[in-house]
Amino acid sequence: MASLSWRRILRVSVSLLSVVAIIVLVIAGLSRTVVGQSRAPFASPPPGSPPAKIRPYSEFGGCPEEPAQFHRCAQEKAKTFNPPRTADGKPDFQGYWNRIGIRNLENIEEHPESIDGSGDRSSVVDPADGRIPYQPWAAAKREAHFEKYLDAGQFCLPDGAPRFGYGATKFVVQTPGYVFMLNDYADTYRIVPMDGRPHLRPDIKLWQGSVRGRWEGNTLVIDVANQLAETTMDHIGNFFSQNAHVVERITMIDKDVIYYTATIEDAKVFTRPWTMAWGWRRNPNPKYEMWEQGCWEGVQSALKYTDEGRKRSRGAFQK
Amino acid sequence: MTSRVGRTTLILVVVLVLVGVAWLSMNRVPAQTPPATTSSLPRTADGKPDISGIWQVLNTAAWNIQDHSATKGVPAGQAVVEGNELPYLPEALAKRNENFKNRLTADPETKCFQPGVPRIMYMPFPFQIIQTPTYIGMLFEYDGLRHIRLNSEHPEGPIEWALGDSRGRWEGDTLVVDVTYFNADTWFDRAGNFHSEEMHLVERYTLLDRDHLNYEVTVTDPKVFSRPWKMSMPFYRRIEQNLQILDYECQSFDS
Repeated sequence: MASLSWRRILRVSVSLLSVVAIIVLVIAGLSRTVVGQSRAPFASPPPGSPPAKIRPYSEFGGCPEEPAQFHRCAQEKAKTFNPPRTADGKPDFQGYWNRIGIRNLENIEEHPESIDGSGDRSSVVDPADGRIPYQPWAAAKREAHFEKYLDAGQFCLPDGAPRFGYGATKFVVQTPGYVFMLNDYADTYRIVPMDGRPHLRPDIKLWQGSVRGRWEGNTLVIDVANQLAETTMDHIGNFFSQNAHVVERITMIDKDVIYYTATIEDAKVFTRPWTMAWGWRRNPNPKYEMWEQGCWEGVQSALKYTDEGRKRSRGAFQK
Repeated sequence: MTSRVGRTTLILVVVLVLVGVAWLSMNRVPAQTPPATTSSLPRTADGKPDISGIWQVLNTAAWNIQDHSATKGVPAGQAVVEGNELPYLPEALAKRNENFKNRLTADPETKCFQPGVPRIMYMPFPFQIIQTPTYIGMLFEYDGLRHIRLNSEHPEGPIEWALGDSRGRWEGDTLVVDVTYFNADTWFDRAGNFHSEEMHLVERYTLLDRDHLNYEVTVTDPKVFSRPWKMSMPFYRRIEQNLQILDYECQSFDS
């Protein structure tokens, strides 16, 4: 008798478990379809939408942080601010800096606040509508990116230009002939030669591209070509091609605030050149030190996942 | 008259040639006397030897820091380890031999992990040194960077890093760097030589002349070695015009 009832209990449990399993699988299938059809919570609202709901911005060095307002205010301040100087008389940008204006890496266009993001107004200041002027095919590719694309940041690869400028905390060091920007992400760095040397020839493609700098008055101008272009500009998947030419302009507007713009020109992807604006604020912690990240060692702990992800990541850029 | 003018000219030419030879030999003398006199070293504004620039080793330490014969794809090489001997404790030697046997898969380099210190110093890739009075940075083409803060204390441990924590000071014309807080996940070379998390390094960087930077490192690790040991090698300045650090993002390549 006892053995019989145990078998019965077992049979009932197995059938119950099957039912639960089927329900779970159906729900998973349904939600997958739903996710596939919906857009990311931080996608750009359709053109003509009312302003997205975002967390309020702060103010730094006498300028509001909101990108378009910061851009206008900083342009005025840059005309009169006399920056501290290095021994060779160049503006002294040395120290640790955190980004402002672009408060999260979700989407460089306007996007609403989400459970884990502040939301932002668009960092695109030209064109005035704040929209990246994609060619139609490229706009469609951007839409598809979020669904199938895993951010190269998942693999600890270097940010290209302009993302390098609004990524993690920067440590700037200036020596005669060079500006160095060390990045508190994946132990990456950027070397900016200031000696007027020509760009690398186009057959050498680099994750950060061929980077060349020059001073125009108090502004550090950085010219970037030859990017491998296998990284995106944000999590939503805004992108450019290997054809892109990026010009960054970096000006101090207060001893603790830097004004940063990047103009991206890529006739293969965009209908016209366009410009982003954001800022840097001096890291308020005087004892701050940049330490080793071991990014890839951490990611490798989920080896199977990353191998699958790597295939997807590279796949997104293949035709 | 003509012969007199000719004789005077001849004497003048001989004197000029003698002066020229003397001048040339005078200028050659310092180059033939290593190491260069310290007064001839290029110096920074604060008077330290100028070690900034792009450097690279010219040896086979990346494959094996000890003496080794050639094998396919591996050039033969003489040890960078002083005296060639590594004073492994018995169990550690067994582990090194095991590592060597499994090196093609067990080497952390094959997983694109950071090579660690000192291994990153002699990977066959260039690296660039940034030098300021308070900070020295080393930017490696083989992925990664070292921060060496001068005249400052190690943070409070325990911490485990592949590259450890580097704090430096100038002792005369030698940069001395104390490196601690390692993990046990990096090797010294592709031949399975390894260390534990108890490793402690003292590195000495001495500029020999403008284009040669001597590197010496003393390794202490009581868990793996019975006594401290030392290796040394020169870094050579990459003098090609417009040479720059490129990139090698190991994990980006399809494997």
